[in-house]
Parts: sequence; structure tokens; C-alpha cells
Amino acid sequence: MSKSRLIKLGLIILVFALVPAILVGFDKGYYYQIATIAAIFMLLAASLHLVTGVAGLLHLGHAALYGVGAYVAAILGAEYGIGFTIGVPLAGLSAAAIAFLVALPTMRLMSIYFAVATLGIGQMLFLIFQNWVGLTKGPNGVMLFSGLNLFGFEIDTDLGIYYVVASIVALSILVLNRLSHSYYGNALRSLREDDQCASAMGINVTVMKIQAFVISSFFAGIAGALWAYTTGYISPNDFQFSQSILILTMVVVGGLGSLPGALIGALLLIILPEMLRSVGDIRNIIVGVMMFGAILFLPKGLFGEVSALNFARRMLGQGWAAKKGEKGIGWK
Amino acid sequence: MFDPYILQQLAIGLSLGMIYALMAIGFTLIFGVLNVVNFAHGEVYTIGAFAGLMAISAFGPPLLVVLFIALAAGAFAGFSLERLAFSPFRRFSDEASLKSRAMREATLMSSLAMSIIAREAMEMIFGSQFQSVDLAYLINKPINIGPITIVNGDLIIFAVTLIMLGGLQWLLKKSPIGLSIRAVSNNALGAKYCGINTDRTIIITFVIGSGMGALAGILVGLYYGAIFPAMGFAPGIKAFVAMVMGGLSSIPGAVISAIILGLSESLSTSFMSSVWSDMVAYGFLLLTLIFFPQGLFGARRDRV
Repeated sequence: MSKSRLIKLGLIILVFALVPAILVGFDKGYYYQIATIAAIFMLLAASLHLVTGVAGLLHLGHAALYGVGAYVAAILGAEYGIGFTIGVPLAGLSAAAIAFLVALPTMRLMSIYFAVATLGIGQMLFLIFQNWVGLTKGPNGVMLFSGLNLFGFEIDTDLGIYYVVASIVALSILVLNRLSHSYYGNALRSLREDDQCASAMGINVTVMKIQAFVISSFFAGIAGALWAYTTGYISPNDFQFSQSILILTMVVVGGLGSLPGALIGALLLIILPEMLRSVGDIRNIIVGVMMFGAILFLPKGLFGEVSALNFARRMLGQGWAAKKGEKGIGWK
Repeated sequence: MFDPYILQQLAIGLSLGMIYALMAIGFTLIFGVLNVVNFAHGEVYTIGAFAGLMAISAFGPPLLVVLFIALAAGAFAGFSLERLAFSPFRRFSDEASLKSRAMREATLMSSLAMSIIAREAMEMIFGSQFQSVDLAYLINKPINIGPITIVNGDLIIFAVTLIMLGGLQWLLKKSPIGLSIRAVSNNALGAKYCGINTDRTIIITFVIGSGMGALAGILVGLYYGAIFPAMGFAPGIKAFVAMVMGGLSSIPGAVISAIILGLSESLSTSFMSSVWSDMVAYGFLLLTLIFFPQGLFGARRDRV
């Protein structure tokens, strides 16, 4: 078996056998909770990675789109009895639709202007979550009592919920992996480096940016729906500006433009504060210090983009490998 | 002819706009020189409010002294901020790297990290609740002018903003420090070749800008009687909006936009519930970005 097969198999075993085995071994609801939250934030970091890391658009309102997904899933589930199976894709689609509407006028803005626009939109959505009491129940939040019902099967054990969340997240990350480590991803990277040059090479810059933004928001919406279903209660405070910053920190700590880095960053920033729970309030400060330290000492991140691309192409992408008797495509 | 209610709202909006203006000036000054956004400005504002509060509860000095203590605390915070979050990223002094995107994004995030650390530290020390302020220091004694009522805080804020704006214009246009600030903001490398100490100039800019932010913090804290660690976030965003609307590096533009923001926010409360008034600010931000990307009063830029 080749090395790349081994790594893939190892990852699958890790996610679907090893982690559940550890969870069952400890058998504490708290650990299951951390595992599902870590999975959800890994998806969020991976989706932000596509916009901020690969396409180079500094996005400061990711948590709001994640909130859109959560609210759509929760309201559909609580008020209209639309369950998990349909609610999750609908949540993703509505987040993507809102992202599309947002992207149409703002995508021609550059760097810091785009960041400010997404910040403003994030705040507007947050205000809607908090103040449109008729729809979102305002600051009280939405309770979601209906359990996780997948194709008619009621899933109510902690382990089952972990498996559902982990499979959806793994599938989504697989899609994001293919997007960011392909010619499509390369095109996005080119417009990150120099969009005028990319446009001269025949890349439709605006369309590509809108696509990346919408795809990323779709996955953020799915993460939101998973969050709503696993916690059973959402309130506007879960989708504040500080959450956007937390997700951004994950991407930055892991390394801008590196998908494995984003996942590592998410794991680190979810699990480390939980391990530090005993030190209490300092943990938020530690998040800040980690972010600062990562920018100062590891400007490329824990798993920098170049090494991540090398790793992904050599180990995960057969498409990049040279076939027998043919010239390999792309890379090098 | 004028409804007293509308006049009253106008007065409230004007003082609100002045508060945003005071904060936006510092923001814009720093952006104008370094071409980077300082996300920790809101925390400097909070630090100013807390420094004033600590001075009041420790030895109860007169109001003017409290203001100066806040100013000094803000200046010190600005100095440390520049040393910690901005100067380590100015490794190279050539034009391209000073204005490069990597530099801008690194400082953006390092200032964000600093703001998280500062806010959380303050929350840990003081708790996230409102602090109680000595009632004698509150600047909300009502004054009646014809049909409308304003408080003495409105006058104080108005006066301080005018003095600050005038002083800053004088400093920038007439003094040697202002000359070097303008030189660095125009062309950092050229300024360096002419013998200007760019590092010192940038520090001075941060000290001035942050001092003004901290002053805004203590004034607002005493005006509303509400001082708490997260107080800097909302006005920070409003100041940011004002800066973008004003065209990023134009200080008078930022002040005018801040006043427009304040006025429209307070007037909007007569049409809708006050919880939605923030929506007006963000709506303005988006409209400006979409239709006037270089700001209402800004100089032309090639691409935005």
C-alpha cells in the first residue's frame, strides 16, 4: 500500500474509530460535546480558509453567516417541523443565498474595504438575530427540542450524534479539499496574489470571488445547522463578532492558505481552552496571546501554505501524481 | 415651525456625533500615517475610561485633572500598542513593504489580538459589569435652552472636540512635529532620507491618536455613567464607519461623517425602535462602500 493510501486510511480510522473509541472509553457527555464542537469549528475554519486563505479576501463576518444557517435550521425545526435531513441542506442554501446577495455589490471592493463591508454585514445580521423578535425570538434565542432525525432514524445517543456530525464535516472538508487543491484553487490563489494579473490571464475575477464566497458560506451554514442540532439552543451571542475573530484566528494560527493548518488551528483553539478550563478566565487571554504569538513568530502559521500544498498534493491528491508514461500535470 | 422633539433629537445627535468624531480623529490620524487599521482603538477608549474611573475612586481630583489622567493613560496605551503590535512588523523600511498587504494584514490581526488581550484582562480585573461612577462626576446636569433640554456634558464634549480638532489642525499644519507626521504619511522612505526619525514620528502619532481616543472614553463614560470593559466596541465600529465614509485619511471628512452618523442615528429613533439605530450606521457604511468607495470627502484613489 502506498504512503498516500496509508495516510488517508489513517485519517479515516482516526476520525471514525479512534476518537469514538476514546470517547466511549471515557464515556462523559462533556467529551462528546467537545468532540462535536471541535468538528463544527473545523468545518468553519476550513470554509473560511477558502475565502480568506485561498482567495485572499479578509472576511470578518463569517460567524454571522454561520448564524444564518443555525437560525434557519432551528426555526425550521422548532416552528415548522422540518427535520434534520432537509433542514441542514436548506440552512446551507439559505446562508449561500444571503452570501450571494451580499457578494453582488461588495465583491469589487479591495482588501480592507472588503473586510469593512463584511464586518458591517456581519453586524447587520447580528442585529437582526438580536432584535427581530418575531422571527428569531431576540436575545432569548431559539430552543430546538426535536432530536436528530436522519432519514427517519432517530439518533439520540451521544455516539450517534458524533458519527453524524463527523461524517457531514468530513464530507464537507473533502469537498473543500478538492476545491482548494485543484486548478480551481490555483485560480483563486492567483487572484489573491494579483487580481489584475489574474484577470489579464483570462480569469473572471469577480465571478471567482463570488463563487468562493458563496461556497464558503454554504458550508458555514451547514456548520450552523449542525451547531443548532447538537446544542439544541441558539442565541445571538453565539454569532457575535468575536466568534468571527475566533474563526479567523484559527485560520491564521494554522497558516493562511493551508487547509490542514486551518483544521489544526481549529482543533488547537477549541481543545486548548477546554484543557485550560481550570485556569478560568485567563483562557480568553490565552487565545489572544496565541493569536499574537502566531502572527509574530510563525508568520506562515503552524502548517504553512507551501508545505501544506506539498503535503496535500503528494499525499492526498492522485490527480497531481504523474501517471506512468505521462507527464504529471500542474505542480512543478 | 420646528417640532421641539426634532430639535431635541438634533441636539442629542450632535453630541453623539461629536463623541464619534473624537474617536474617529484618532483612528484616522493613525490610518493616515501608517495606512493600517488599528483595531485596538476601541480598547484604548476603554482604558481611558477606566483610568479616569480609577483616578476618581482613588483620590477624587477635579474633572479637568481626571481628563488629563485619561489622556496620559491613553497616550501610554498608544505607545505600548505601537511598540508591541505595530513596530515588530515594520522590519523593512522600503516603500513597498510599508504599504504591502502582508504588512497591513499582519498589523490588523496583531492589533486585534492586542485588543482581545486588553479587553479580557480588563474583564478579569474589573468584571464585565457596569462600574459605579461617583455621581458628582457625572456630566449630565440638565440645562434648558428654550424648548429643548441639553446636559452640561453636551457642552463639554462639544468644547473638547472643537479644542482637539483645532489643536490637531494647528499641530499638523504649523508645528515641526506635524510637519514630520505629514511627511511620513506622504512618503515614509522619503521622510527618512530627509533625516526625519520615522519611528519616533509614528510613535508620536499613536500617542496623540490614542490620547484622543482615551479622552473620548472617559467623557462618554461620565456622560452616560456607564463604564464597562466592552464599552469600546460599538463606538469603535462607528468611528471606523466615520473614517471610511470620510475617505480614510481625511480628518475633517471623518469629523463631518461622524456628525452625520450621530444625527441620523438619533433622528432615526423617531421613526423606528432605538435598537435598530445601529442598523443606520451599518447601512451608511455599506452604501458608502458601494456608491462612494473612496469616501464622501476623500481624495481619489486608484482602486478600492
